[in-house]
Amino acid sequence: MEEIDERSAGSGAAVLEAPTPIQAPPAEAPIRYPDRAARHWLLASVVWLTVVDLFGLVLATQFVTPEAFGNMSWLAFSRVRPSHVSGVILAWLTMMYFGALFYMLPRLCGTRGMWSERLGVWCAWGWSLMYLCGVVGLLTGHSQGREYAEFIWPVDIALLIIWSANIVNILGTVALRTIRPIYVSVWFFIASPIWLAVDYAIGNVIWRPGEIIGGAPSGALANSLDDAILNWWYAHNLFGLWLTPMLIAMTYYIVPRITNTPLYSYTLSLISFWGMAFLYTGVGDHHILQSPTPSWLKTIAEISSWALLIPVFAFTINILGTMKGNWDKFFTNLTMRFTMTAFFFYFLVNVQGAFEALQPFNKLQHFTNFVVAHAHLALLGAFTILGMGVIDYIVAQVYARPLWSRTLTEWQYWLVTVGFTGFFSVLTLAGFQQGFSWQEGIPEVNVLDQLHPYYIARGVFGAMIIASGIVQMVNIALTMRTNTIERRRRETMRVAEAVAPPVAG
Amino acid sequence: MDEQDSLEEEPRTPRGWSSHPPEKMLITPWIAGLGGLTVFLFVVFVVVWLPVHTFDPPASADWAPLSDQATKGRHLFARNNCFVCHSGYSRPQDVRQALYFLYPKVSQPGDFYGSDQSPNLLGTERTGPDLSQESGWHPDDWQFAHFYDARFTDPLSLMPPMRSLFSNGQVEQLTAFVETRSGKSGLLRYAGQLYAKRVVTTVQGFPQPYRGFSGAHKPIVEQKEVAPPPNQLEEAPNLSQIDRSYWLSGDPLPVTEGNLLRGKEVFLQRCVGCHGTKGNGKGPGARFFSPPPADFTDKDDACCGGDTGPGDFYFRILRGWTGTGMENFGERLSVDDIWRVVLFVKTIPNKTLREDVVPEPKDYITWQPSKELLAWVKGRQQLANNVSFSKTQSKDPFMQEAMRVFPGLNPADRVVVNGLGTPLSLTDAAAGIRAIYDRLLGRAWADAKRRGDKLPAASQRDIPPTVPGQQ
Repeated sequence: MEEIDERSAGSGAAVLEAPTPIQAPPAEAPIRYPDRAARHWLLASVVWLTVVDLFGLVLATQFVTPEAFGNMSWLAFSRVRPSHVSGVILAWLTMMYFGALFYMLPRLCGTRGMWSERLGVWCAWGWSLMYLCGVVGLLTGHSQGREYAEFIWPVDIALLIIWSANIVNILGTVALRTIRPIYVSVWFFIASPIWLAVDYAIGNVIWRPGEIIGGAPSGALANSLDDAILNWWYAHNLFGLWLTPMLIAMTYYIVPRITNTPLYSYTLSLISFWGMAFLYTGVGDHHILQSPTPSWLKTIAEISSWALLIPVFAFTINILGTMKGNWDKFFTNLTMRFTMTAFFFYFLVNVQGAFEALQPFNKLQHFTNFVVAHAHLALLGAFTILGMGVIDYIVAQVYARPLWSRTLTEWQYWLVTVGFTGFFSVLTLAGFQQGFSWQEGIPEVNVLDQLHPYYIARGVFGAMIIASGIVQMVNIALTMRTNTIERRRRETMRVAEAVAPPVAG
Repeated sequence: MDEQDSLEEEPRTPRGWSSHPPEKMLITPWIAGLGGLTVFLFVVFVVVWLPVHTFDPPASADWAPLSDQATKGRHLFARNNCFVCHSGYSRPQDVRQALYFLYPKVSQPGDFYGSDQSPNLLGTERTGPDLSQESGWHPDDWQFAHFYDARFTDPLSLMPPMRSLFSNGQVEQLTAFVETRSGKSGLLRYAGQLYAKRVVTTVQGFPQPYRGFSGAHKPIVEQKEVAPPPNQLEEAPNLSQIDRSYWLSGDPLPVTEGNLLRGKEVFLQRCVGCHGTKGNGKGPGARFFSPPPADFTDKDDACCGGDTGPGDFYFRILRGWTGTGMENFGERLSVDDIWRVVLFVKTIPNKTLREDVVPEPKDYITWQPSKELLAWVKGRQQLANNVSFSKTQSKDPFMQEAMRVFPGLNPADRVVVNGLGTPLSLTDAAAGIRAIYDRLLGRAWADAKRRGDKLPAASQRDIPPTVPGQQ
């Protein structure tokens, strides 16, 4: 199997655009990376994406016909919803991020693979098993009863053990590096998992295991309002200190790599890194601005939510500066298209989030579908679309061949982008309808009736998103099974022969 | 590789950088890892450690602990993530100054006192209503029917059926939690609900309702013939639950096809779960209830009973009928729509609920009050005796609750009810409600004490409850 120059192999088509490496290996033989850990984490994430999306479809169905799964207790809305949410965060996005991290880190550190590829592989299986246990628990009514912290205590512990093993693996790789200065992405690769480990351990109150199987749920502070403060501080940092920094790290890798352009500014990277650490950590209380919690905490959350725009703009300017003169790649390279679409949605979600954290606007949209739309803007519009592009890129790199079909990748892109945009718009409108109706004193159940068309549309757009994930799964599976280089060579030959048929005899 | 090496060999710069960054600004793994962690922990100290160690509000006057049964129900509520649709606190913007509160008060920090309130159930979205003030708005049998299948009690609901999630015992625990979670004001409402249930079933000769989900497979409860006390209007106990000013009021809307059709639409949208698509009181939810839902198909019963005038129907839809499954629709329906439903109900005996029929004014049956009723009303509708016009309002919360449950009683009224130990009067009702309230609160305190929960000083228990909005 031959290695392809990474620059040109961002997507299947890129190979055709820059055909040299296919015929002749580059003069200096590149390092052969094992990428075993990366492959395990990434391929698992592709499968989990479809599974957790299907959970989402079950939920969307129940919004339209609540009796759909009448006698199946394990498909009851309240049990599937945390399975969907935790699945998106832990099974799909986290596995995708770790897979991409295990791919990028050796290349940025100049090491021949991770500190221990074998540990990475074991962790991938352990992680999937951990999520499976957690979900079986949730579907049978074993939840901690705290949003985003639903997994029960034993699953939390398993998660933290695997997470710590990953941290060791990352730090080990960094210690072995041959490139002395560490690149911006690596800052996040080092800091972000550590932040999240601490965040997860505190947020799940792991020192209070509770009654694990029956009785009192595990992992909560005794004082209810303190527990809520902790709960939302933790929940927001799942995004703020793990999913978002990783999006930034991935974008800082992908954009300079594919455009072959140095990063615009080192100083802006510094602002985005330290700004995140300082400003993102304290915004959690903006989820409960209308609750009877201390006002000073709400003030900190509101101010932090706005100050957060500083690192966001630093990152945005940095990427736009790097993209200057490179926008052709947005149209020709599919990974770039995924990445820059995600980048746009990421910018949007942060600006939207700042406004949501303002008291007057919060009063209107709190508890409505507007929040659901916002959450999907981050997790689907930004992180998932980025993840899809990153996976397509890395699979082509790791298997050293273009993806099986560019057409399928195009379908994948448009299904998820159109599906998400519709999904987001519909839920935002529904949120406004709810918010304004409630302000008028119209009770929830009366508004529910009016939301029916929105819910149907949401289900249809959601199905498009699932289709996108399935298209990706098929495309990747066929890429793994087929020698796409040979296939493309034959196609090229066929076209060439049609144009200029060989001389007979 | 140490510094020495890097001098000899030109340091390899990450491919994304055009030049080597200035040495002073270089981030090392130690700075990224430990520096990042330090910044993070500093913020954690401010936004987590500080509030958790300084924010411990004392119990509010309204706070009440949960009984063991209710605590188990709370655990079930949390373990099944019911909070993803039902929030657990009433926000400032939720409070509406109306007579039929859904959110009668804003949640106070002290309402969340005590370790039986953990984990927090503040919630994140409202697909269903907030439940922090739910206690006592519905009787237990309504909760059972609603948990079994929410469409039974509200055809518009999106709540998944809970029949496969919980056993009979578990749904009792959940109901205990929902019915006692709203502090003392909720317990007071619940006590009124329980007291009214006893009165209503005794008056009408019905057994106590089925418990848990068992009603789903049982026949609709049978009525025993109850002989009315002599020298008293037969419907007097029923009228005592309807505000006097509505007793003889007619429908302000004209009997037009448009009004009747809108009434039919609303009826089909909201009422068929219990009253059935035929209006015969045999909807899918009916078997849970005692007394069962009203049958509107009987000309005689619907139109000539002493408590079935348009005003009586209007009041029961507006405010509900405490002690029965009939809940208040005052928040959900406009005043006009309620009156239109009242108009339409009076046409049901003429088969206007059939699918292909548009109700017409000729189907409307005009209500005729009996001579006995007119005489009864005449003796009781005097403004001088009407407590609503008294300048001194009762300060006793139990009396306020009794007046809410029995708005048709004058302070001097004594209605005899066969089988009920005491006659029906405001003072007896207040005493009865108080006894039930004391029993509920006492049990919850004893349970909490036995569990070793954090409790406020005993004097907090003796602070009387308040009726939100009526202080």
